[in-house]
Amino acid sequence: MTERQSRPPTTDELLRLVIESAHDYAIFSMDPEGLVTSWNSGAERVMGWPAEEIMGRSADVIFPAEDRAAAHQEREQAAATGRAEDERWQQRKDGTRFWASGLLMQLEDRSQGFTKILRDRTEHHLAEERVRLSEERFRLLATNIPQLVFRGLSDGSRTWPSPQWIDFTGLGAEASLGLGWLDAIHPDDRDGTVAAWHAAASSGEYYFEHRVRRRADGQFRWHQTRARAIHERDGPPIDWVGTMTDVHDLRGLQERQKVLMAELQHRTRNLLAMTQSIATQTLRRTASLRDFEREFARRLAALSRVQGLVTGVDYREVDLHDLLTAELQAHDGKHLDSGRVRLAGPALLLPAAAAQALGLALHELATNAVKYGALARDDGRLTVSWRIDSRGSERVATVSWKESGVPLSGVPERSGYGRELIERALPYQLGAETRLDFEPDGVRCTMAVSLQGPTDE
Amino acid sequence: MNEALKDKRILAVEDEYMLAQELARFLEEHGATVVGPVGTVKAALGLADRETLDAAVLDVNLRNQPVYPVAERLIERGVPIVFVTGYDELLMQRPYIGLPRCPKPLDKEALLRVLAREIAGRAGAR
Repeated sequence: MTERQSRPPTTDELLRLVIESAHDYAIFSMDPEGLVTSWNSGAERVMGWPAEEIMGRSADVIFPAEDRAAAHQEREQAAATGRAEDERWQQRKDGTRFWASGLLMQLEDRSQGFTKILRDRTEHHLAEERVRLSEERFRLLATNIPQLVFRGLSDGSRTWPSPQWIDFTGLGAEASLGLGWLDAIHPDDRDGTVAAWHAAASSGEYYFEHRVRRRADGQFRWHQTRARAIHERDGPPIDWVGTMTDVHDLRGLQERQKVLMAELQHRTRNLLAMTQSIATQTLRRTASLRDFEREFARRLAALSRVQGLVTGVDYREVDLHDLLTAELQAHDGKHLDSGRVRLAGPALLLPAAAAQALGLALHELATNAVKYGALARDDGRLTVSWRIDSRGSERVATVSWKESGVPLSGVPERSGYGRELIERALPYQLGAETRLDFEPDGVRCTMAVSLQGPTDE
Repeated sequence: MNEALKDKRILAVEDEYMLAQELARFLEEHGATVVGPVGTVKAALGLADRETLDAAVLDVNLRNQPVYPVAERLIERGVPIVFVTGYDELLMQRPYIGLPRCPKPLDKEALLRVLAREIAGRAGAR
């Protein structure tokens, strides 16, 4: 190397090199009035003004028209304090705007004016803006949905509870942080809640159902909690976001539906079993298949009528008057209006089981009356009366079926099926007291049934 | 004729009279001595305590009371039981889920096979 070549560069040279090569930085100077006195290549690149065009002109053109006053204020500030920083939208020669981060400095020799360094930070600014908007959207969503929202870490600790959580549990934001939120979880559910967090760490998904205390009334209400991990690209979870949904009423409905399904299934199978039994009993007592077909269809229809009444009031109670009317109408409506049938008694609701068994018995009595008894002739009469008595704490309904005007030649009830229903089935199934007699002028039947509903007694 | 039930004492528990009659008649036709039939938990418990029994056929729901106390007593005594029920397996109470069960309406031949198997199993265990 020669001596010439080894001469160190002067400070001015160095400065010029730096300024010339700083393509990303706009560096320019202006006199005290703001007229441009130097303009580097970075300034040309960032703001679109070639140096020869802007030299000697006001540097204020890089401010958007509506914002020009700020240019003057900045110079005043820099003159007073030595420097002025700003972050703002500025304008290129072609009118497009860019987000600039700038620093204006007063030169030592005040008469020389100022120098300004400025960077185009548009990309960075927009990215920041997107993050801000995205966070704003999250907050808006998180604080306006009915669910209780939270953010937390992989160990289940929480870093942010939504206002809904604070409202619902009465647990403040501070108190809810870390594992403090577990205070609002039912003590019996806490271990499971924490264990599920351990399991979630590997799967990246949290799911658990537990009871959360509601401040308003102290009730523990079932909630379904879900959360998912947010990962840095290919990294471990850095954040969890989750929701807690009140599923208390839903769970109640599901339980109830299960009970109803079981009940429905039980009743359906029982009904089929009854049908099977009626078929067998009828078959045993009929001489021909033609008789069987007729008798079986008739009994099935009676069963179906009673079922209609029982299910019509939600599997509960059946009005005896309705039951009788339906049965007599099924045989022939004219009997009811003939004046020869009298139904008399107080309002009487029968439990479903009693209604079903009594209905089938009344059907057999009515069939017999229409074929051979009071309703088979013009001068016959039928009175069905009932009353309710108290026996201790028990209420007992006594139904009395009384036919008259029937010259009876000692013919017992025809098939024996009805007799068996009344004399055997009702006592067996309902603990009923029954009596069936064939008096000289017609059938008498009394049936006393407890109204307490199905019990073991 | 299947002889498996011959001279066996079988408790019949069913709250529907006609079904109880059918069941009793069927068991008797196969040579069994029917204890009952009865249709309440109370009556069934009485028989389960007192009577010598080789097997029991139990309707699960008796006037809305579960028959389970009767089942429990019979299991204590080592009496084989067969449930007859309109309930699905899953709806039965937990400890009884695995026990023999015939669905309603009753397939009597199937009941006969299950009873024969249970009675034979008990004899083998002794």
